[in-house]
Amino acid sequence: MKPLVLCLGNELLGDDGAGMLVARKLKATQGHGSDIIETSLSGLSLIEYFIGYKQAIIVDAIHTGNHPPGTVIELYPDQLRSVIAPSPHYAGLPEMLELAKSLDVEFPEDIAIFAIEVADPYTIGGAIDSRVEKGIDEAVIKIKARLKRWQSLTFRTAARKKIDGNPGTVAR
Amino acid sequence: MTRKITVDPITRLEGHGKIDIFLNDKGNVDRAYFQVPELRGFEKFAEGRPAEDMPQITSRICGVCPTAHHMAATKALDDLYKVDPPPAAKKIRELVYSTFYAEDHALHFFFLGGPDFVVGPTAPKAERNILGVLGKVGIEVGKKVIGFRKEMRELITLAAGKVIHPVFGLPGGVSKSLCAEDQRKFITGGDHAVEFAKFCLNVFNDVVLKNKQYVETILSDVYTHKTYYMGTVDPHNKVNFYDGDLRVVAPDGTEFLKFKSGDYLKHIAEHVEPWSYIKFCYLKDIGWKGFEDGPQSGVYAVAPLARLNAADGMATPEAQAAYELFYSTLGGRPVHCTLANHWARLIELLYAAERMKELAGDPEIIDPKVRNIPKKIPVEGVGVVEAPRGTLFHHYQTDARGVIEKANLIVATQNNAARIAMSVDKAARGVIKDGKVDDGILNLVEVAFRAYDPCHGCATHTLPGQMPLVVRVFDSHKKIVSEIRRQ
Repeated sequence: MKPLVLCLGNELLGDDGAGMLVARKLKATQGHGSDIIETSLSGLSLIEYFIGYKQAIIVDAIHTGNHPPGTVIELYPDQLRSVIAPSPHYAGLPEMLELAKSLDVEFPEDIAIFAIEVADPYTIGGAIDSRVEKGIDEAVIKIKARLKRWQSLTFRTAARKKIDGNPGTVAR
Repeated sequence: MTRKITVDPITRLEGHGKIDIFLNDKGNVDRAYFQVPELRGFEKFAEGRPAEDMPQITSRICGVCPTAHHMAATKALDDLYKVDPPPAAKKIRELVYSTFYAEDHALHFFFLGGPDFVVGPTAPKAERNILGVLGKVGIEVGKKVIGFRKEMRELITLAAGKVIHPVFGLPGGVSKSLCAEDQRKFITGGDHAVEFAKFCLNVFNDVVLKNKQYVETILSDVYTHKTYYMGTVDPHNKVNFYDGDLRVVAPDGTEFLKFKSGDYLKHIAEHVEPWSYIKFCYLKDIGWKGFEDGPQSGVYAVAPLARLNAADGMATPEAQAAYELFYSTLGGRPVHCTLANHWARLIELLYAAERMKELAGDPEIIDPKVRNIPKKIPVEGVGVVEAPRGTLFHHYQTDARGVIEKANLIVATQNNAARIAMSVDKAARGVIKDGKVDDGILNLVEVAFRAYDPCHGCATHTLPGQMPLVVRVFDSHKKIVSEIRRQ
């Protein structure tokens, strides 16, 4: 099973399209070995995408104001605040993971999040900030490295399993 | 001294709604304001682009209802090029649209309405979410919901190319016909959808209607407004999501207006208030008389309850039976209780499911002729559909090449904005007394606007992807005297 790379954003809203551009650049590279999906859905509507995958990467814009635009921030789900959202439109990843856990559906065990700090995700028709563009390139490199690492770990785990029946563990 | 309470999302101020509640000296509500964001700048963005791109571009406006925008834009192109799609194309469009409705309404009931009614409006904050809903109705139900939505989305993909950004609508038809195998899948999907809709209505009956307190809440004056209602109807005045005339009924339920979608500017106007950047739609034939109930006020509502009120019934048998039960239980048509939207939404879910079945079973739906090529010179086109959250208008004016010179969009939440503002104000007045403001009370205010399912999906993507709320209480010197963070 290939890993999932789920790229979120709205390309009509300036820097909010960063995730979409990561998807397109990643697709254009050789040997990424993943299923790449672009979507502007949000919240709990995303849950169906993950079902059936063992590993997943989420790519999204983030607007904290705490980092220079273009900074690529690597996160794990447990680092996001546990939030119970007041609406499914705004339900965040923590709630989605909680839901998946409670439903006992086949959900990725390994999830990595690559968030690109953006400058302006609000302006309709706005161009991507040049600093964010650099962040997009950096995110593509980091995601490829992560996919490669997962690939080799999966391969080694499968090989070990074949040799001594030990399933091993898949590290982050 | 006036105190100010703000329920305000703190991450994306431009993209979300907020509630400001002003208290007087005695701690009672002076006035409450609900501010919904308006989709600003999109019309400008559309100018200079080929009209043919609009179904693809507009479906990207919103991550919540892309299919509705795609469909309204496609219909606007039909009108722009004065081309009538072949019957099979219209049926495929409506089939996809009904499937979209089924999955969207199902999501709303369990994930949005559910926390308010299945769990309960005054339940502890930590339980008012989908996990709380599953705690009440069982994990298996959660799996059923997820499985149902997956099936519906796969069907949409089959016919429309992409669930998120459908690519099948073209002026004069659709890009792809359905084959017999596709048809079989839709027939099966329609059966499952009908079964699922009935299951949802049973859950509603067992959990909500059998709970006296919930029924009293639905019927309470705090959540009631006697306004006009608008919705799309077929030639027999039955609810239709995809096509028909727009019908407006008065607060006493009598027909007030019926007009073609292209005439919407003759009947709908927009009012501007200094405290909000959304424009409040009202009926031109009556005029803007302020945020008031009654036949003398031009305020109207859209969305499920309004659609049922504006129609004489449902076009499918089981939905019609559910419609009759709805009105006999709630005292006849029209129903003015805002919270009845949740029940009305489930009746619409059943109609969408039955309509799916009907259309999928129609032999004509696999007719290979699915497009009439546009030949006229474009000037102006209007496309209207009923989005799950209410009537959606797309209106384009172009040059002779079909390049957009002017675009006008009225989204569901704009149609509803005045009544939502009234609902929030009335709910706040009804539940906040003597300065007592806590999370449970504020939730009772939010319940009022959640029933409309106001959609701000165009700006909800950046991580962590949720809408935190902060409730701030200010004294007359604008000093914060208390703060509740909802995150």
